[in-house]
Amino acid sequence: MSELVIQTRNLNKKYRGRYAVRNLDLEIAKGEIYGFLGPNGAGKTTTIRMLLGLIRPTVGSIQIFGKDLRKDKMNILRKVGSLVEYPSNYGHLTAVQNLEAIRRILDVPKARIHEVLDIVSLTKDAKRPVKGYSLGMKQRLGIAAALLGSPELLILDEPTNGLDPAGIHEIRELIRSMPKQHGITVLVSSHLLSEVEQMAGTVGIIREGEMVFQDTIGNLKQQASGGFRLVVSEPQEALVHLIGQGYTGRMEDGAIKLDQLSDPEVALLVKRLVDNNHAIYRVEEKRRSLEDIFMQVIEQGGFS
Amino acid sequence: MMVARALSADFLKMRRKGIWLLVILGSVGLLAMQGLNFGLRYDYLLQRYQDDPWAGLIGEIFSFVPIALFLGTTLIASQIANVEHGSNSWKQLLALPISRGSVFTAKYLLGIIALAASCLILSCGTVVLGLALKFSPDHIPYLTILKLSFVPFLASLPLFALELWLSLTFKNQALPITLGITAAIASLFAGNYPEWFPLAWPLLSFYGKASPALPVGGGIILAFIIYLAGMGQFRGKDVD
Repeated sequence: MSELVIQTRNLNKKYRGRYAVRNLDLEIAKGEIYGFLGPNGAGKTTTIRMLLGLIRPTVGSIQIFGKDLRKDKMNILRKVGSLVEYPSNYGHLTAVQNLEAIRRILDVPKARIHEVLDIVSLTKDAKRPVKGYSLGMKQRLGIAAALLGSPELLILDEPTNGLDPAGIHEIRELIRSMPKQHGITVLVSSHLLSEVEQMAGTVGIIREGEMVFQDTIGNLKQQASGGFRLVVSEPQEALVHLIGQGYTGRMEDGAIKLDQLSDPEVALLVKRLVDNNHAIYRVEEKRRSLEDIFMQVIEQGGFS
Repeated sequence: MMVARALSADFLKMRRKGIWLLVILGSVGLLAMQGLNFGLRYDYLLQRYQDDPWAGLIGEIFSFVPIALFLGTTLIASQIANVEHGSNSWKQLLALPISRGSVFTAKYLLGIIALAASCLILSCGTVVLGLALKFSPDHIPYLTILKLSFVPFLASLPLFALELWLSLTFKNQALPITLGITAAIASLFAGNYPEWFPLAWPLLSFYGKASPALPVGGGIILAFIIYLAGMGQFRGKDVD
């Protein structure tokens, strides 16, 4: 396992007797894009606020860059850029002034303001008061603010919320470029799987405050396989032959329905049928969409 | 210094927020009122204060200083807090590598600087107004004129400390503003209050027959205690 940038142990946050986050073990490796998924109100924002030191965990520990957040908060936050929920900005100030207000606290060179404005393509509108910005532009300014301190870790809470498809695409491309161009680890939360599946390498799915799935997107996709459909000549005899060989399957609409198999197993199965003189017309994998799996996970709290 | 960095950011954020307009309007407003008072009743007032017209002017101005300080304190505290409340910026600001104590302290310094600037304008303006009213330039009581605004200012600091804490804590400013206006109105009857009562301190600090040690010293100490209590709460609170 590569170096972990974020590691939480048994993280809990209780509000008025109700757990908003419960026993959460979050693990994010360096240089990856981690998609933090869950329906609204599942505890994503609460978790992110704890990671940023905005609220204190009721129980549990948070390690970022291998250091304890409680003890090394300032040193950790210096290397973290964040955007929490809807964007925060001073509407009466321009984009440059907004960034300058943050720059004075971060104490980074002034040139950095124009660099980050360029990264989020706001240079053209940099001298206008932010209250006249569209939501997408405000969101991009929020990302620029998060990038200002040249962070090693970027924490973005619902960065595409409320954006139109073009805006979503733009932000997604921006996030995707972070690890490649800048070596930044990214934690991005969303309530839509489709939004993060194209950029995240690993996903964590949270439901009612508890982590119900945390693995690579590849493994999540593997759960998407819903078995095989085999169309052959003489399907009845082929099925009897396969069952005789130890496979489990059944007839469905004149085709053989088989459970999920790995690639070599499929190859072997086909070879056996061919050797037994069956003509094979089709081998189809039935896939469920990731969205279906996501719904299953968040409805049932795990894979059945 | 983290406080200096936070303060420098705060100065930028307060641009075009009306705080400096309030600083000027508050002090210039008091002076304009007395300019009008003396302008309209010049002969009568000059006769009434013929022994010492400067003291007369200072006394007339001072009668409105405590209420102006209380109102100014309330509005400035609310404006300082509203810059962050109104833009949902607390979460962004407090996730930056800066201690909460520094953020909190910078807000207090900003308020004190704004109020002190208003006091300075009032003192300078008093001299200008006196000279404009053709009072003797040889007998300008500079020290008393400085005391006119700064001594009651120090005595009014506890209310400022409390107002700013409440304004920073509650997103809805109705409570701190109602409290501040109530205190301002109550200060009109300060002459009837016991001298340990903080709302009476701005009046007593300048007019008291005894020394201003209690109202000024008490004001500074009480304000500092409220500030420390507020900072303790601010550092530990959950930020939504």
